[in-house]
Amino acid sequence: MINHQTQLKVQAYLDGELSAGEARAVEELMRSDADAQALHQELRIARSFLAGNELERKLPESPEFYWSKIRRQIERAESTPDGLSEPTAPPWWSRFLAPAGVLGALAVFVALVLRSPQDGGTFLALDDSHEIETPLEETSSFSFRSEAAAMTVVWVDSHRE
Amino acid sequence: MAVLFFASQVPVQSGPADLSLQAQLVWGTNKEKPDDPKLKEVDPSVAEKLRKVFKWKNYFEVNKQNVTVTVGSPKKVKMSDHCEIEVQNLGSASIEVKLYGKGKLAVRKTQKIHPTELLVLAGDDKDDTAWFVVLSQPQK
Repeated sequence: MINHQTQLKVQAYLDGELSAGEARAVEELMRSDADAQALHQELRIARSFLAGNELERKLPESPEFYWSKIRRQIERAESTPDGLSEPTAPPWWSRFLAPAGVLGALAVFVALVLRSPQDGGTFLALDDSHEIETPLEETSSFSFRSEAAAMTVVWVDSHRE
Repeated sequence: MAVLFFASQVPVQSGPADLSLQAQLVWGTNKEKPDDPKLKEVDPSVAEKLRKVFKWKNYFEVNKQNVTVTVGSPKKVKMSDHCEIEVQNLGSASIEVKLYGKGKLAVRKTQKIHPTELLVLAGDDKDDTAWFVVLSQPQK
């Protein structure tokens, strides 16, 4: 019976993760220890099965849509206080961001004031031709473009469970 | 940097030009077509595009309307009892689309629209189905 540490060594040997000296030691062990030899054989077979029969996972949706949804879920989870994480002190460099933030907010304000009247109420401009707003609290949305389908999608999430 | 930022915010004005759009309310499902005479097969090219992006296999047209929008005159289009859109022609091939669900503004989107491209507003529906409002420019 070989111990757990030796089992890990045998596995590392099979994965080519050992130095030359360690590899020689494991080879020596396997010549003299039937358990080590059997484990090596077992792992080798398992690896060949996995390599040849790995289950291919196909995304049910386009990658753009799939990852947009995941990103949205992460953002939503991060914005929801769970009461578990401890508050952390702001990093020292954050004090320099405050003036930059004020300047940025001022720039946005001036830009919005300069817009034509029919554009009133605008808040987020990704570029000069793309804006999105979700005014209802119980809904959120994200937008993405699929080049393959020549389509821009606005996905509206009503947060129904 | 600041100059670029401000420049990007200045709206581009153009002369009034009518914009013809087709608005389709589409329902997506993985089940077979229900026995509902109001549901029609979606145009195959549209269905194929939707299949490229979304997981649903079958897409059925609930309603289709053509609308012509003039710059400065937004138009409301009722897609169903609970769903309405308002389209505004901003000029320069840009449109603003407001989607209303049960009378409440759910989302507002401003977007350049290209003749060969679709603008799709969509969301989940019950029983693992989805709704889609597909905006396109009808082929001339």
